[in-house]
Amino acid sequence: MVGIVDYGMGNHASVMHSLKSMGFKVRISADPQVLDNTDILILPGVGAFPSAMQALRDRGLVNYLQHQAVMQHPIIGICLGMQLLTTASYEFEYTLGLGLIEGEIVPLTASKWHIGWNEIKCLQQDSLLEPSNHQSFYFNHSFTYQGADKYQIAIAQHNQAVAAVIRHDNIAGIQFHPEKSQVAGKQLLRNLITGLVNAKETIDRSCHN
Amino acid sequence: MLKKRLIGVVTIKDGWAVQSFGYQRYLPLGKPECLIKNLDRWGADEILVQVIDRSRQKIAPDFSLLERIGKLGLSTPLIYGGGIRNVDDGVKAIHYGADRLVVDALLHDDLQEVQHLSERLGAQAVIASLPLSWQDDKLAWLDYRSQTKIAIATHLLETIKSGIISEILISDWLHEGQANGFESNLVKKFPLQNIPIIAFGGVSEPVQMAELLAQPNIVAIAIGNFLNYQEQAIQKYKQAIASEQIRNPIYSSKYSLLTNV
Repeated sequence: MVGIVDYGMGNHASVMHSLKSMGFKVRISADPQVLDNTDILILPGVGAFPSAMQALRDRGLVNYLQHQAVMQHPIIGICLGMQLLTTASYEFEYTLGLGLIEGEIVPLTASKWHIGWNEIKCLQQDSLLEPSNHQSFYFNHSFTYQGADKYQIAIAQHNQAVAAVIRHDNIAGIQFHPEKSQVAGKQLLRNLITGLVNAKETIDRSCHN
Repeated sequence: MLKKRLIGVVTIKDGWAVQSFGYQRYLPLGKPECLIKNLDRWGADEILVQVIDRSRQKIAPDFSLLERIGKLGLSTPLIYGGGIRNVDDGVKAIHYGADRLVVDALLHDDLQEVQHLSERLGAQAVIASLPLSWQDDKLAWLDYRSQTKIAIATHLLETIKSGIISEILISDWLHEGQANGFESNLVKKFPLQNIPIIAFGGVSEPVQMAELLAQPNIVAIAIGNFLNYQEQAIQKYKQAIASEQIRNPIYSSKYSLLTNV
């Protein structure tokens, strides 16, 4: 079961339809009791960072998501959702994020925007991302992640290196839109979801043994 | 490398998908959802849905259509245009499944509102549609509602330069529907040469597309009428252009042309 965190920002419908077309069961909710009963949380998002963080705060979801990360509940952030996972952003004003992956969100420097299909290149060995290495995905953003190399699993080149996928344990962020990246996007999303959920189950089993 | 895009356009009038010729003659094609679903399967890089009678009739965007499109579960980015009057309209369109928005009438009516839209959704989500013509060695900007042509307003150019709009959709409305008809001066003589441009209207031939895409400021080509004359048209265009600038999609095998070989 996949839980889509509904905090009123962005296009949950596209993510939901994409997941359902892959056979996943999906719940969209802002209610922790509903989200608790899912195997993985997805944080989508379109819009500006400060208003998104405010929307999470208004729904009491900041503490909830931080607690879920501590509890090893896998989380995937998409586009703005990826940026929210980080320490802070400079979009409009300096705004603290969820702090689940160390690093900051800064404006693109070599161009104003990164819009369209671009190939990603894996920088780290990651079995969940490896099948998607050198495939093209749909990007649509003007701010980018800046942080330690160890968190940057894949990049895209657009006059500068742009973080495409970031990850810290079972928290992953995707700057592009896998739900709008056709076959390649679905493959990546399926690999990431099943991989993170399986890893969590392995940890849970080893803890119980 | 960021790829250049082929955008499939679905034009909608009175609730039906239509072929549009010169912004004045229309032929019905059928249910919009069928055409949109085809473009999704064929590997279009983006799909532009433009509902051309909303602003003319001063009515809201077609949210009912967007809701129906949302249920198709598209895996291709969706651009919506038609009747966007303010930030609320834009936000609602995004919630229903649009990834980006095209504004046209609003550029004539209220640039302040375009700015608010950009501040709320990000400039990357906002595309300016400019129906242009090249006549008497001058560019003319059409207000399609009143069918009046004027010079491109200086304050519009200043607004574009300020960065609140990410791309400009230049529509050659005079040659819309005319094979190989796109007037290249619309791009060559456009006063802002460092703004990404989507070329639309009378773009039908792979050679013509390749020439347009070779221009650094053209980031995408939008194709409408000419997608309706053959199956899997987007795939065939991509194969014929055969450029590294264009993305070669991964197809589900049942939709790939390769299965026909």
